[in-house]
Amino acid sequence: MNREEIIARLKPIIKVYVDDKSSLDHLDESTDFIKDLKINSANLVDIVLDVEEEFAIEIDNTAMEKMLSVGASIAVIEQKLADK
Amino acid sequence: MIGNDIVDLDRAARDSNWQRKGYLNKLFTASEQYLIASAPDASIMVWLLWSMKESAYKINSRKTGLRSFAPVKLICDSIIINEHNATGSVSYEGEWYYTRSEFNDAYVHTIASCEQEELQAIKIQITGFYSDYKSSMPQCVSHHGNYLALTYL
Repeated sequence: MNREEIIARLKPIIKVYVDDKSSLDHLDESTDFIKDLKINSANLVDIVLDVEEEFAIEIDNTAMEKMLSVGASIAVIEQKLADK
Repeated sequence: MIGNDIVDLDRAARDSNWQRKGYLNKLFTASEQYLIASAPDASIMVWLLWSMKESAYKINSRKTGLRSFAPVKLICDSIIINEHNATGSVSYEGEWYYTRSEFNDAYVHTIASCEQEELQAIKIQITGFYSDYKSSMPQCVSHHGNYLALTYL
């Protein structure tokens, strides 16, 4: 799975937790969940759980620590898919 | 340095299903989960512990300039709960923060400080959201749902 495919499957997950959907128009790897998309920090864990289900991977706490942006999340997903 | 965090309980109930499988495990230590399981109102306990972690995290990230999503590393301890308020501490990688919380049917609010004396001196104002709150020069601000929490030293 390449990064474009991962981002295409990640975007609908993220969308659920974003109030201002127009902020998703310019989504790229540098997009920060909290600073750019104003996602509530309590919902970051929902994104992590949704990602685990969508990609059938398990995200440990050390990997979760980094998941504050689209790019960092893609890197974690790639790593966990490679480890499977 | 101080940090604060407010949780609008109506908004939290709509936005977060903490009963979701795996949710509590990713946010709370085993002993925190035990507090939630044995609390008379589990939901209040979830958001009380969460606001303690968030308020301590805000100080830490401002102090170090580092950001991460590591809720289980923020460990709530020494919690004493009364009818509508609570005190406790949060440790994070060897740093300690003291917390003072108040809660009711509408919200949970926590302030954290590195120093116990400072914690006592903090003035808190909780209001509905308004946009020009910065003119009152609050030390720190937390906004969630319908509520705005401003703290002054």
